[in-house]
Amino acid sequence: MINNKVKIKTTNLNVYYGDKQALNDVNLEIHSKEVTALIGPSGCGKSTYIRCINRMNDVIDICRVTGSIEIDGNEINKKEIDVVSLREKIGMVFQKPNPFPKSIYDNVSYGPNIHGLAENKVKMDEIVETSLKKAALWNEVKDRLNEPGTSLSGGQQQRLCIARAISVNPEVILMDEPCSALDPIATAKIEELMDELKKSYTIVIVTHSMSQAVRVSQRTGFFHLGKLIEVDTTEKIFKNPNNKMTQDYITGRFG
Amino acid sequence: MSDEAHIVKSYEEELQNLNDSLIKMGSLTESQLADSMEAIIKVDKESADKIIANDAKINELRAKIDNQIMTVLVKRAPMAIDLRITISTLKISHDLERIGDLAKSVAKKIKPLPHDLPKELIGSLRRLGDLVQKQLRNVLDAYLNKSKESAITIWKNDEQVDDLTNTAMNEVADFLGKSKKNLELATHLLFVTKNIERAGDHITNIAESLYYLIEGEYLEGARPKGKDIEKN
Ligand SMILES: Nc1ncnc2c1ncn2[C@@H]1O[C@H](COP(=O)(O)OP(=O)(O)OP(=O)(O)O)[C@@H](O)[C@H]1O
Ligand SMILES: [Mg+2]
Repeated sequence: MINNKVKIKTTNLNVYYGDKQALNDVNLEIHSKEVTALIGPSGCGKSTYIRCINRMNDVIDICRVTGSIEIDGNEINKKEIDVVSLREKIGMVFQKPNPFPKSIYDNVSYGPNIHGLAENKVKMDEIVETSLKKAALWNEVKDRLNEPGTSLSGGQQQRLCIARAISVNPEVILMDEPCSALDPIATAKIEELMDELKKSYTIVIVTHSMSQAVRVSQRTGFFHLGKLIEVDTTEKIFKNPNNKMTQDYITGRFG
Repeated sequence: MSDEAHIVKSYEEELQNLNDSLIKMGSLTESQLADSMEAIIKVDKESADKIIANDAKINELRAKIDNQIMTVLVKRAPMAIDLRITISTLKISHDLERIGDLAKSVAKKIKPLPHDLPKELIGSLRRLGDLVQKQLRNVLDAYLNKSKESAITIWKNDEQVDDLTNTAMNEVADFLGKSKKNLELATHLLFVTKNIERAGDHITNIAESLYYLIEGEYLEGARPKGKDIEKN
């Protein structure tokens, strides 16, 4: 099922780390309530790209971002944007699960707390429970909510991070290689979760597994040396990509 | 197509071995079809046994290719051109196996033939057999050279196979009309003719698979049909 509503649109997006250009005129539309996979060799700029969407590159001093980034048609690549409320709309999950050194409960309630989403403890309990349920973790942790998040297994920690990301009701979830440290079962759980989450959220996932891109995404973009080489439906990309570079990469022919 | 080789050499080898198996299977099928045509026209009952026995070799290759493909699918999760090669090879090998079966069926009809073929029937049957053999040779060459143009030509040429089938069928029907004594021979020959035509259909399937392998798209539009073929 291909959705045509554009949620995120970048136009002539260029990113520099000091003198080094990491992204080169990237024009990409990310469709609403779909999973978009970004693939490409190490260092091609995938992480840099998704970090633009929630302005995470702001924290890197030498990083400069030019061009336009629109979310629902609103420019976010400008000074006046309130980055905190932007990040409430755009959650992020990293390659290495990174729970806060706090309890499982506090990991999930942290965001809603900051953004003032719960007026009382009952409401907060509710948010924590639904977030953990959506992240398919509730049954495994409901009796140990006060234990530290770091006491969970890697796969559980990753789902905790997803629960944390969705606890603030974001519109977009960015995932940077979320399964690279997980076993096949934990990976399957996250992939199943993505199928569920895409009904309500727009998801962008960076992955090094072409098979995973095929399993979870509806569209795929291929990056190479900071350029977006090709973007199309995932089916088109894995059956018959237009660009030879895309084909050589996904078939393992890249030099 | 990609002129680049895989980074993983064993992957490259697996695809090469798959290609080799298919080519081997193709040439075996080609000679089975040629032998069966030769044998039916000469009513060579001794060759018939050999052809029937040889079919097992084609089946073995088919099984080998199935296994090779399963290995590639699970080990490599092939993508793009590799995926199309793998899937098309699977389909082509099954069509070749069917052509082999049809050659065997033709050979099986030789033994019960009551006597030599009447001269008036040999011409059309030979022309049909020659054309189908040529189609098979061409499609195997087209596979080797990954020629999209040849695939299209072969696909279109099936119209001629249909036309020649019609002619041959009509001639057998006329022959039958001459005398009730001709019934047994005529019945066998109708089956033989139909089998050759069906071998031709499998060749067009191969041309379609090949086109998909090369282009990543299906051959569009209806194949031209020989006149009156639907009526049979
Ligand atoms: N903080 C930084 N400072 C300087 N250069 C950086 C920084 N982050 C990334 N880069 C450079 O920008 C380019 C793109 O990096 P990026 O992390 O976006 O690649 P990637 O596609 O995510 O790679 P990987 O698949 O290895 O995660 C690389 O050349 C990298 O060295
Ligand atoms: Mg990265």
